[in-house]
Order: sequence, then C-alpha cells, then structure tokens
Amino acid sequence: MIGSIPLGDVLLASGALFTIGLAGALLRRSAISIFLSIEVMMNAANLALIGYGSALGTLEGQVVVFFIIAIAAAEASVGLAIFVALFRHKETIDVNRINLLKW
Amino acid sequence: MTTQRLVFDAAAVLTILFAAVMTVHRHPVKSVLALVVSFFGLAVCYVMLSAPFIAAIQVIVYAGAILVLFLFVLMLLNVGEETRERDPRPIQRALAGVALVLFAGMLLGLLRAHGAAIAAPRDALTADVAPLARLLFASYLLPFEALSVLLLAALVGAFVLARRETDS
Repeated sequence: MIGSIPLGDVLLASGALFTIGLAGALLRRSAISIFLSIEVMMNAANLALIGYGSALGTLEGQVVVFFIIAIAAAEASVGLAIFVALFRHKETIDVNRINLLKW
Repeated sequence: MTTQRLVFDAAAVLTILFAAVMTVHRHPVKSVLALVVSFFGLAVCYVMLSAPFIAAIQVIVYAGAILVLFLFVLMLLNVGEETRERDPRPIQRALAGVALVLFAGMLLGLLRAHGAAIAAPRDALTADVAPLARLLFASYLLPFEALSVLLLAALVGAFVLARRETDS
C-alpha cells in the first residue's frame, strides 16, 4: 500500500504498459514506431520502480528512474541520428527493407 | 475507494489507453502525439505515488524534449503513413502474436503472485525534493557524474552519425 494505492494496481498498470510496448515493437514496421514502443516499455519499468520505491518507503527507486530517464535521452538522440543516417542511404526506415546485415 | 486511488487508476487507464492508440496508429506523427498524452498520464501517476520530482522530469524531459526530438526527425525525414502491403513473412507475425499472449499471461501471473508480498512502509514518503537531492549528490555522486560524460558522448555520437559525409 502506498497511501491508499495498493501495489497491485501499480504493477498491473506497469505490466499492461510493458505488454503494449512489446506488441508495438513486434508488430510495427516503421523503425520510429518501434523506437517509440521501446520508450513505452522503458516507462513501464519506471512505473514499477517508482511503485516499489514508494511501497518500501525508500528514495532509491526515484534515483534509479532519474538515471534511466537521462540514459533514455542519450539513447533517443543516438537512435534518431542512426535513423537519419540510414534514411540518407536507403530512403526508407521500413525495417522490412533494411536488411544489410541479413545473410 | 479513496480519491488518491481513484485518481491513480484513472490516470493509469488513460496512460494505457493512449499507449494502445500509439501502437495501432499507422501514422508516426499521430503515434508521437498519443504518446505525449500517455506520458502526461504517467506523470499524474508519479505524483500520486509521491514522486513529484520524477513527475516534473517526465513532463520536461520525456514529453518536452525526447518526444519533440522524435517529431523533429519525423518532419525532417517526411515519414508518411505505413503502407498497407502484403507481409513477406506472415508466419513471423502470427508467431509474434502468440509470443505476446504468452508473455502477457506470464507477466500477469508473476505480478499477481508478487503484488501483495511487500511489507508496509517504514515511514511515508513526503513530497519534499531535498532528501532526493541529498541522496543524488552524496551517495550517487559518481554515477551522476558518469552520466554527464555519457550524455556528452551521446551528443558527440549523434553529431558524427547524422553529419553529411564530405569527401575531403
């Protein structure tokens, strides 16, 4: 219990959010949509961390989430730069057409 | 059911709903805009879980910076709607669907088993930011500084990757 919020609610929301993110990452074809889905999965993990941190009465959960958000910013900038470079070479970011590394 | 729980549940439902909208939309710009709403809902959840600083960061950094970066790149590349075309490997999609259902079931079972296993908090968290800052700049100072180097490396990496090739 956090105040009057049961931890089960938080974990359920986190699990649902993670599953939706996974669905997007598996079923979409645009590389940017897949990237957005990965962001959703990361936020699901953040929600679970904050929920556990609050339930245990510690601040460590919030510190870890702070670091995760900063790393997500770094990851987004590098990932989007990769997409820009890729688009310049292939004129598409459809992952079905990007198969340079496939045998 | 208290107000706090009611607000949390409503915000969580909004978050999940708009995340689902993001997933099903074929147009990437609309996906990003749905995700902005979803992240605002998540910020409300964080406030309800007595983490107002993280809620502010969520709005400023995630909704304000990262998603705007996504929008910039989408408009730079002029990415349109995903075309409806026949999948070259339909079996792969079916398998992905099956894996997804299995994963959702596993996650649900795991969370149901674990949700009630946490003892009551020793002391309730306050909305004060000062204890968090003390923790961040004392116990976690080294990771914090390492993070600034990481961000610098990401900045340089993004610049090098996105630069136009010039043959000198």
